[in-house]
Amino acid sequence: MAEPEFERAKRSTKWNSRLSWIWTEYSVIIAFLILFVVSSILSPRFLEFSNLMNILMQVSIIGVIALGMTMIMLSGGIDLSVGSVLALVGVFSVIALNASGSIFIAIITALAVGAFTGFLNGFMVAKLKIAAFIATLGMMAAARSIALYTSDGGSISGEVEGFSAISNSSIGAVQSPIFIFGLMAVLVFILLHQTRFGRYVYAIGSNEKGALLSGIRVDRIKMAVYTLAGMLVSVAAIIETSRLNSISSSSSGQLYELDAIAAVIIGGTRMTGGRGKVVGTLFGVLILGILNNMMNLMNVSPYLQGFVTGLVIIIAVVFQKRE
Amino acid sequence: MSSFLSMKNISKSFNHVPVLKNVSINVEHGEIHALLGENGAGKSTLMNILGGVHQPDEGAIVLNGQTVEMTTPRTSQSYGISFIHQELNVISDLRVYENLFLGNELKNRFGFVKVEEMCDKTSDILAELGVDIHPKTYVRHLDTSYKQMLEIAKALLHNSRLIIMDEPTTALAEHEVHRLFALMKNLKQTGVSIIYISHKLKEIQEVCDTYTVLRDGHVVGSNRMKDENLDEITKLMVGKSVSEDRLTESHSFGPVALEVKHLTSEGFFKDINFTVRKGEIVGFTGLAGDGRTELFESLFGFRKKYNGQIKIFAQDVNINHPKQALKAGMGLVPKDRKENAIIKDLNVIQNMSLSSLAHFEKAGLIKGRAEREKFNFYEQKLNIKVPNPKTTIDKLSGGNQQKVVIAKWLEVNADIIIFDNPTQGIDVGARREIYQHIVALADKGKAVIILSSEASEIRKVCHTIHVMYQGEVTAQFAGEEATDDEIMSYATGSKRGR
Repeated sequence: MAEPEFERAKRSTKWNSRLSWIWTEYSVIIAFLILFVVSSILSPRFLEFSNLMNILMQVSIIGVIALGMTMIMLSGGIDLSVGSVLALVGVFSVIALNASGSIFIAIITALAVGAFTGFLNGFMVAKLKIAAFIATLGMMAAARSIALYTSDGGSISGEVEGFSAISNSSIGAVQSPIFIFGLMAVLVFILLHQTRFGRYVYAIGSNEKGALLSGIRVDRIKMAVYTLAGMLVSVAAIIETSRLNSISSSSSGQLYELDAIAAVIIGGTRMTGGRGKVVGTLFGVLILGILNNMMNLMNVSPYLQGFVTGLVIIIAVVFQKRE
Repeated sequence: MSSFLSMKNISKSFNHVPVLKNVSINVEHGEIHALLGENGAGKSTLMNILGGVHQPDEGAIVLNGQTVEMTTPRTSQSYGISFIHQELNVISDLRVYENLFLGNELKNRFGFVKVEEMCDKTSDILAELGVDIHPKTYVRHLDTSYKQMLEIAKALLHNSRLIIMDEPTTALAEHEVHRLFALMKNLKQTGVSIIYISHKLKEIQEVCDTYTVLRDGHVVGSNRMKDENLDEITKLMVGKSVSEDRLTESHSFGPVALEVKHLTSEGFFKDINFTVRKGEIVGFTGLAGDGRTELFESLFGFRKKYNGQIKIFAQDVNINHPKQALKAGMGLVPKDRKENAIIKDLNVIQNMSLSSLAHFEKAGLIKGRAEREKFNFYEQKLNIKVPNPKTTIDKLSGGNQQKVVIAKWLEVNADIIIFDNPTQGIDVGARREIYQHIVALADKGKAVIILSSEASEIRKVCHTIHVMYQGEVTAQFAGEEATDDEIMSYATGSKRGR
């Protein structure tokens, strides 16, 4: 009698451990699916193709930034400056655009400014050993200030035909920002999961001293991480600037760091680094997008969106603690 | 008269895996009782049951003739049992008296703490222990051995009648160990009983009155401690006899792989000279704080400030970063494996390949299959026991983790491999295996350096032993002619120059 009972108990613990494994590995996907189903029940318009595309379109900018944030947070850091840097990059690229009349030069300028600010962040963190939170907080204030100063606190608009086509065109049924987001996601996925660089990022986030004693150039990798993340902010800035054909030095990029960090955390990346996945971040971005979309569809005041984002971050972290 | 403490017929399973099977143990008043066994034998589980952390499936705990139930760590404490864990439970940023009274602060009727009274009581207890520390000292300024004393003081403050010590000497230098032992003997006189968990048989022989050996959750032996029992106890622990023979055979060496001249780093080591040839195993030993770890961290590029000359295969090298050391053909298996060597979020395979990812790349992308195949090779070669190589490395036992770290440097193809305290936290059976692998490396022509404070251990494997004292090499022995006593007299500075 005792024997089969023991076997059954053994099987059920096996089941439990398997279930808990699925939960820890895929909790963000499960949460996404639940949210998706609930949304489609609550609002008939949710499932319309144009609405789904609209969601993707709206998350593409934060999504691109969140990809870079994932790299930084995996390495054990954080970047609070992304919103301000987005405005700075936008201002400089529009100035370059109008001065040169060349879209190409505008893009190169954008990438250079993003890479430079990212490199500065990385330099402060890796070489000057300043805590990432402090270093990027300083950059957040400084970049916004330079953006305001350069444009006299106002907005500047592009004066070159064709610049706004970058974001306002489609490839088939897919608008180009969505396409760019997808492309960046694939690149970052390959970089983090299939290359030496990516492996080093995980190693540094998990055990920095161990990584150093394994012969990894920890400083260089960290600076590269922040520089690459800065360039992803450039890409996001190009999408944003081109979509409206203008950039506001005061309001563009406001609180983008909050959404980007939220997406990464909801996606299951550990705050202290070393653990997390690009796919998790993608679903984190989508969860935030669907929540905002549903609140629009259900006529919830836009002022409450921040409240919901905050709530979701906290709930996500509480659930992750349980592992 | 019945025993002070008896744990009777304790059984415990986790997830239907039995960890303790019908275990009984008796401890008398004022007795130091050694609890022995390899890692995984069930020592911690047994003590956690006594400490109220786990509940037994079967069996009873009898204290002073009364059956008691330890439902929480607090109940256990209220019965006068204190558990001093291997990782010390003191808070560095608080003062000595604040640590001592943490959670039990003396308060006046307004709820404010009575600092002076707590300080006085702290002074009394510390004086009783023969420890001279000011109660208002910050704990971060204290040596590890004093932090241990604090734990013991805490136990006395709670009027503990039984203190459990889990491997208290792993982080202690020789003279600190003696201080601890003197204190334990004092406690014994006042009727306090101690359960002492350790791997170090010599220490146990010195300080313990009785012992119990666990193996695979069973009691395999329990007796009074006698001098002639040591070999037998070892046999009981591993289930087979471990020989004391030298593991290394002398053979001819190859060319000089590493030559160090006049290496000096202010405040850490000075005027260090030595050579290591291919096929040779060179040991460095001494007490804690002798500068050997700093010396080799400098050689490996982890510390930057030093003067002197380093030659690798007769070439002058200048090493400022571990990456350069790696390129020059050096590998380091560092001490404190958890902090320095393993990357706990990476899986076993990824830990193996971390320093040589270029070997597994094709067009810039890592080929997981190539990594896995290489790991299978080392798994067999080094006898690594891994249920699933895709689990994170922290799930493995210490010995197996260390083998993965060794595999990492083999894959880099390092010519010179430095092992710092290679058997730290590894049980007796696996220790010998690690040393056998190290000897095999030398036999294949690697130049090997071993750093350890346990001279008796590395004596068996080294061709040459350098003894360090306060940053200087004070003696050099051929491995077969060194004796523990003589090494110790140089390591403690009582003899100099040879």
